[in-house]
Amino acid sequence: MQSQAMFFRARAAEKVRNPVLQKALEKAKPLFVGKRAKGMESLRDDGIEFETLRAACKDIRNRVVDDLDVWLEIFEAKAKATGAEVLWARDGEEVAELVVDIARRHGVKKVTKSKSMLSEEARLNEALEAAGIRPVETDLGEYIVQLAGETPSHIIAPAVHKTLAEVADLFEKHHGKPRHEVDSANASSTIPAMTREAREVLRQHFLTADMGISGGNFLIAETGSVALVTNEGNGRMVTTLPKVHVVVTGIEKIVPTLEDFATLMRMLPRSATGQSISNYVSLLTGNKGAEDRDGPEKMVFILVDNGRAGLVGTDFQPMLRCIRCGACMNHCPVYFSLGGHAYGWVYPGPMGSVLTPLYTGLENALDLPHASTGCNQCGSVCPVNIPLPDLMRRLREQQVERRLRPWSERLALKAWAWIARQPALYQWFARRAARYLKWLGGKEHRIRVFGLAPGWTEGRDLSAPAAGKTFLEQYAARRKQ
Amino acid sequence: MRVALFVTCLVDVMRPSVGFSALRLLEAAGCEVVVPPGQTCCGQPAWSAGDSAAARDLAKKTIADLEGYDQVVIPSGSCADHVKNVYPGMLADDPAWGPRAKALAERTWELTAFLAEKIGLESVPGRFEGSVTYHDSCKGLRGLGIKGQPRQLLSRVPGLQLKEMAGSEECCGFGGAFSVKFGDISTAIVDRKCDCVAAVGADAVVGGDLGCLLNIEGRLRRRGDERTKVLHIAEVLAGEEPN
Repeated sequence: MQSQAMFFRARAAEKVRNPVLQKALEKAKPLFVGKRAKGMESLRDDGIEFETLRAACKDIRNRVVDDLDVWLEIFEAKAKATGAEVLWARDGEEVAELVVDIARRHGVKKVTKSKSMLSEEARLNEALEAAGIRPVETDLGEYIVQLAGETPSHIIAPAVHKTLAEVADLFEKHHGKPRHEVDSANASSTIPAMTREAREVLRQHFLTADMGISGGNFLIAETGSVALVTNEGNGRMVTTLPKVHVVVTGIEKIVPTLEDFATLMRMLPRSATGQSISNYVSLLTGNKGAEDRDGPEKMVFILVDNGRAGLVGTDFQPMLRCIRCGACMNHCPVYFSLGGHAYGWVYPGPMGSVLTPLYTGLENALDLPHASTGCNQCGSVCPVNIPLPDLMRRLREQQVERRLRPWSERLALKAWAWIARQPALYQWFARRAARYLKWLGGKEHRIRVFGLAPGWTEGRDLSAPAAGKTFLEQYAARRKQ
Repeated sequence: MRVALFVTCLVDVMRPSVGFSALRLLEAAGCEVVVPPGQTCCGQPAWSAGDSAAARDLAKKTIADLEGYDQVVIPSGSCADHVKNVYPGMLADDPAWGPRAKALAERTWELTAFLAEKIGLESVPGRFEGSVTYHDSCKGLRGLGIKGQPRQLLSRVPGLQLKEMAGSEECCGFGGAFSVKFGDISTAIVDRKCDCVAAVGADAVVGGDLGCLLNIEGRLRRRGDERTKVLHIAEVLAGEEPN
C-alpha cells in the first residue's frame, strides 16, 4: 500500500467531520472495549490474572525476538522437513514477485485470500490483478472493503468504518440482487440475511480458486506449522481447497513451541474480540500427504522482512512482540475520532503510529508520532506490554535529532526551555502572560479566539485567569503582609 | 515535616487558586509548607515534544530546586508522574544526577495520594453543597495509580455527593501540545467526555489535573453549558473559589 501518512492532518480533518463514519465508530467502540473487558474477566474463571498472563506472553515473544535469526533457521528447517517450500522476501515488491511467480508456475487464474495485513504492505492484490490473476478476499470485512475499492481501516475489523446501509448498497450493486432493507429495528435479521448472500457468492469462489493465500497469526518453530486464528471459517476454505496454499507472513511471527502457542491463545482472542477462543483455530503443517483427504498439494511460506529486521537491537525492538490483536486501536481516543484510513498506511491506531514511520520512513509520517494524547490506554491493554506511548515519544525525539521538525517549533522549544531555567526572567514572562490572558478574557474571563493557539479555540473556549496575577506573585505579596 | 509545594507552571499562570488550595490543605494536614521561589516548569512539554536535551536541563533545575525537603507535593498527576516516573530513567546514565533524580522521585507525591496515603487526612476544610463527578486523568491514573485517593477525600467533604460518570477513566483529549496541534481531534475527544458529564448531570466535574480541566471546561462552555462547574480537587477539598 502506498503510504499516504504525510497527509494525516488533512485526512483527519475530513474524517472527524464525516457524520456517517462517526456513526459507525460510535457504534463499534463500546463493543470492542466491553467485549475485551469481559474476556479478560473470564481469565479469572481459570484462575489466571491478566498481568501474569501478559508477562508470560511478553516473555515468549521476547525469547523469539531476541534471537530471531536462530528461530527463523529452526522454523525453516522444520517447515522444509514437512515438505513445504520456504521463501524469503526482503520487501513488499519481492513478496508480489514471488507470489505472481508461484501463481504462474501453477497456472493459477483465481486466488482466494483470507485476511493478511502483510499482503496490504505488499500491495499484493494490485500485483495479482496486473498479472491477470483475480484475487478474491473472503474474510467478510475484507470482502466488503474489496467491493468498495478501499483498504481495511482496522486490522481485525477491516470494514468497521462502514455502516450497514453502505454495505447494503455495495451488495446490491455487486451481487445483482434486490437491496436489503436496512433500519435499526431489523438489523438483527438483516445482517444474517446479508451474510448468507455474501457466503453464497464466496462459495463459488472457494470451489473454483486455484490458489489460496493466507496470513499467519503465528509460526510454530518446533513443528514448522502456521497457526490461523479466525471466526468465519473462510480461512479453512482458503487453505485446504485450492491445490496451492501460500502463507505470507512477517519474520517476527514465530513462537518456539506448541505450548507457547497455547499460552498466547489464551490472550489473543480475548484481547481482540473478548472470546475465550475464536471459532476456528487451525494449525497447518506441510503438503497434503498420501493419507490426507484434503489439503494443498503444495504449501509455500513467504517470510517477509519489510523493515522488521531493522528494528532488532534498537529502542523499537519491543514493537516486534506485537501479536496484531487490535486492542491498542480499540482503546485509542484518537483512533475512535478518525477511524483507520486517516493514518494513511496499513496499520492504524497507536501500533500504526509507531510502525508506519519505522517501515515507511520517519520523514514520510511526521504527524503520526504526535497524533497521541499520551493517555496510555493502549499500553495498559497491550497483551504483550509494548510501551506504545514511549515508542511514539522516542520517534519524536528522532525527528528532533534529525531536524525534521519545523524550525519555528524547535526554536520556540529551545527559547522556552532556556527561559524556564532563569527563574526571574521566566516569572516576569509568566506575570505578563497572566495579565495578557486576563485582558483577553474580558469581563466574563473567557477567551473565545486565541491567536497564539488557534487550535484550542476552534472548538473550545479558554478560561482566563480572573486575577491576572500569577500564583508566585500573589504568594509573595501575601507573605509580605 | 517540611513539604515543598511545586504548583506547576499551568497553575501558576492559569489558576492560582489551585496552588492556594493545596497550600491550605497541606497546612491543615499539619505540614510545614515551603514554596520554593525559583520553581518554573518540570520540563514535561519538552520531553513530550522529543527535545530531550531541554527536558534534561529542566529536570536538573527542578531537582536542584526541590531536593532539600522531606517531601514534595504537586497538585497534578501529570507533573508528579513526570518527576516520579520519568526523571530517574531520563537521567539514569548520569552518575551525578541519576541518584539525585531517584531520591527526589521517592519523596515526590501527587497531592491526593499524599493527603490520603501519607497523611491519612480525616477531615477537610471545604464543604460543597451538591453533586460532583470525578474525571480520572490519564497520567495520574495509569502512571501513578491515583483512583481511590481522590474519591476517599471527596467523601469527607460535607454536603458533597459523588456521582460516577461513564468512561471516567477515558482520556479527555488534552494531551498538552496535542490539544493545540490537533485541535479538531482533541475537540472530538473532549466532546465525548462532555457527553458523559452531561449524562451524569452533576453540579461539578472535578479532577486532579488543570490541563484536563481547562479542556473540559472550555468545551462545556462552547457547547453552551454554563451551569456545570469545573473544579480542581484541591479547590473542592479546601473550599476555595476558583480564580
